[in-house]
Amino acid sequence: MSAYLNTRVSLFSGRLWRDDDLDALVSVPDDAVADTLALRGLPQLAAGYDSLGGKQQDSRSLEQRIIAQILDETRVMLRPLSGSARSFLTFWTARFEISNVKTLLRSKMTDERPAAILARLIPMGAFGRLDNQDLAHAEDVGELLRRLEAGPYAGIVRHARRAFEQSHDPFSLDAALDRAYYEGLTVRAQPLEETVGAPFRGLMANLIDRINLVWLLRYRFNYKLPPAQVYYLLVGSRYSLSGTQLQQLAGQDSLEAVLAALPPAWQVRLHGATDIPGVFARMEYAAAEQAQRVLHSPAAAIARSFAYLILRERDLRAVRAVLRGRHLGLADTDIRQALHRAPTEVE
Amino acid sequence: MLRAEPLLKIQLMMLASEAQDAALSLARFGVFNPAACTLDTLAESPAASYREAWLEADARLSKLLEQCGDTGPLHLPEDAEAPALADLQELNRWLKEVWIACLSCHESEAQIHEARSHLDALEETLAKLERLNVDLARLLRADSLLAVHIGSLPAPGLRRVTEALAMTGHLVSRFDQVGEQVFAVIAGPRTRHEEVQGLLAQAGWRELPVPDELRTHPQAARAWLEAERTRLNTQSGAECQIMDGLREQFGPRLHEARLRLALARPLAEAALAGVRGKGGLAALSGWIPKRQLDALRETLDQHFHGRYWLDLREPSADEVAEVPSLVRYPVWLKPFVPLVKSYGVPRYGEFDPALPFAFTYLLLFGAMFGDVGHGAVILLLAAALYRRLGRMAWVGIAAGAVSMLFGLFYGSMFGYEDIIEPFWLSPLHDPIRVLTIAVGFGVGFIVFTLLVNTYNKLIAGHASEALFDSTGVAGLVFYLGAVGSVVSLAGGADLEQPSGVLAGLGIVTIALFKWFEARASVGERILVTAIETLETGINLFANTLSFMRVAAFSLNHVALALAIFTLANGLDTAGHWFTIVLGNIVIIVLEGGIVAIQALRLMYYEGFSRFFSGDGTEFVPLRLSSQRARV
Repeated sequence: MSAYLNTRVSLFSGRLWRDDDLDALVSVPDDAVADTLALRGLPQLAAGYDSLGGKQQDSRSLEQRIIAQILDETRVMLRPLSGSARSFLTFWTARFEISNVKTLLRSKMTDERPAAILARLIPMGAFGRLDNQDLAHAEDVGELLRRLEAGPYAGIVRHARRAFEQSHDPFSLDAALDRAYYEGLTVRAQPLEETVGAPFRGLMANLIDRINLVWLLRYRFNYKLPPAQVYYLLVGSRYSLSGTQLQQLAGQDSLEAVLAALPPAWQVRLHGATDIPGVFARMEYAAAEQAQRVLHSPAAAIARSFAYLILRERDLRAVRAVLRGRHLGLADTDIRQALHRAPTEVE
Repeated sequence: MLRAEPLLKIQLMMLASEAQDAALSLARFGVFNPAACTLDTLAESPAASYREAWLEADARLSKLLEQCGDTGPLHLPEDAEAPALADLQELNRWLKEVWIACLSCHESEAQIHEARSHLDALEETLAKLERLNVDLARLLRADSLLAVHIGSLPAPGLRRVTEALAMTGHLVSRFDQVGEQVFAVIAGPRTRHEEVQGLLAQAGWRELPVPDELRTHPQAARAWLEAERTRLNTQSGAECQIMDGLREQFGPRLHEARLRLALARPLAEAALAGVRGKGGLAALSGWIPKRQLDALRETLDQHFHGRYWLDLREPSADEVAEVPSLVRYPVWLKPFVPLVKSYGVPRYGEFDPALPFAFTYLLLFGAMFGDVGHGAVILLLAAALYRRLGRMAWVGIAAGAVSMLFGLFYGSMFGYEDIIEPFWLSPLHDPIRVLTIAVGFGVGFIVFTLLVNTYNKLIAGHASEALFDSTGVAGLVFYLGAVGSVVSLAGGADLEQPSGVLAGLGIVTIALFKWFEARASVGERILVTAIETLETGINLFANTLSFMRVAAFSLNHVALALAIFTLANGLDTAGHWFTIVLGNIVIIVLEGGIVAIQALRLMYYEGFSRFFSGDGTEFVPLRLSSQRARV
């Protein structure tokens, strides 16, 4: 079965976008966009672009098509998997459904109509575990949370409900949901880290460390939360940034101080970053480089699949940026500026 | 019965304000299948808000009925009208108010339940605090330098909270755990008290309300706990009274709401397919049987007195795949229809295989499981289980009857071959004849499927496939020629030369057709033509031989009975009859089941797959009755 998955991942990897491909997409004529997308293995996006005359494609529909494409490819990779590998990859897709949970909660707070809410949800297809119709027709946040607690994400939602009941702050709901999801992901990753080893652990480390550092900076310096609360909101980590290091970092008073307190290897990686998006871009670039190495190595099939999905999602975000830029009628140079993926370009 | 009824596509235009009544009339009419409206000039969707309001109201009503119980059977008066959009929105608002009232009772009940659990935990905690011999009054003093909290938080978060609080100089001391909740004391400098408030809220910390009595006299807390329990019980009773009051107060109106929502359902359902409109006009599109046109006009005239415009047309050739299939079956054939539909729905205009399926399935089952006794048991069992199996019981009754008939032909009763004389032949004594008849039947069946496929292709406008493809006339010519050649070689007839010519003509035609159909390079075309032509011959040969299983199973039936008799004859009288009864049960259950599946398999794979694509659309009329799946 791993031979099948390895072959499948190798075939999929041919669909990844190089920077040149993205550059070409910026300047390709409108009537050739659909063909370009289809040639790069994005039939869902190509179909949307074709049927809606390209520029008519709104951002919600674009987002939904991108996720549909990712789910399609994940479904193919899941076929030969079983046990902890299957559980991990399935849970990896659940973050789109958690995003639906957040949409539902926010919409209920603003008393949106069920039809409008349903139109905004990401269609999860075979991966969907929530009864969106039923949830969208909940009367208020309280009823919605209780219904969610009776569903498949009870573990994630229960804690968020208690936090929300104490503070009635939408931020606490979002933060609790995100944290519970990534805690769940690390739990599911642990058996694979033990069996698959360094390649898989490296990918997870990059993901969780990036999330922790960016959240830390955002909570500490954008939301001005006290260090103890910031630390509590981070994902329990057993990767490069340990709990003690995160505590020390959360105690710093400025972004520069946080960056200066990072381990030397991290300082090299983040050299030149002056703001949170800069930190994110550099860390994402480092994660993509590592995913490329894993993808082109003889690592276990699940590690290569995960690496491919990380890279594919990054690509699709870039494609989305190009299509949105075109949709808004931005100049090619502005779109290229927004596309910068390498750290030297971020500066 | 053998093909779908001719349908007409209608566009019913009326005043938008009467769209709900038009949909209701069409639902009462009973044979209108809504379809997407294709009029480009009508760009608006006037029923979208109606559907949205209906969906919301229906969801609220369902939740209320779940809480309040059913309001009894629903009778829709003949002259009742569907609610207008404003009425529906008003009803929706009222349902919202009732549901919110109901929800707040529920929410209160849930909170009371949680508070009770909390009190239980507190009681256990008190017992521990009493033993601690701690002066709580001093510990919880508001003017002390130390801020102390006593409370609970979810157990999985304890470690994280402890680490985070340590950053602010706070200590966490856990003293109890009840279920998933950990009870703890948190103490830290009062000056940094504000810093931990957000963290504690985020962690789901619940402060234990330690009463003043407890602070001075821990024992006095028992009385406080009792008082709290009594208060919660009173509160819970009050909530129950409110709920009962809601039921009494709103029960009759809820029934009326059910009625109105049932009347509104047709337009809400039709809106799913797409009701279009512009200004004050609305158009409903869909399919009706051609023969019901006059009845439809009469219905519409009766309700709208000419305030409508009905446009109709025959289905065009390019939309045949989307036209629903409406086939009227006689009552006796209906039990077999689900077995055909489990393979697929015939396309509009295609040959409907339900009738030949019913006859052939029964014939094959009887031929493979011919036994008067076993057939009678199946018949009686199916009749006895009629209430549970519903209409499907008739399939069992018919299969049992045919099995009995073949039992008479074979002279078999509960495996005994010597009780009755065979009316026709005994499979055990004349196996070659049985095999020949089975293969002969197979040849006839395959010829029939090829003819049906030719008809279907011609109806669908694929004349070249009907004439030259392997499942069309050319395939039939080849097959008949090949069968004639085999029969001649076996000495059954003297048709060797004409049969050979026929087979050759057929296969060459097929090969040429495949050659012209293949869109590829020359090498690939040669390969495709050779393989597909060869496959034609092999498939038809294998499919014909497949029917030998009919004879094999009829022989198998006798052989199984013989095995049981051999075992039984070696035992004493009690053992003998026990083995005979048990053996017959095994034959009926095991072999009966296998034969039922084999007959179905022959029908599906040697029959349906040759002419029946099964990708048609079922005719689903707009109805007043509940059809939640469509909505």
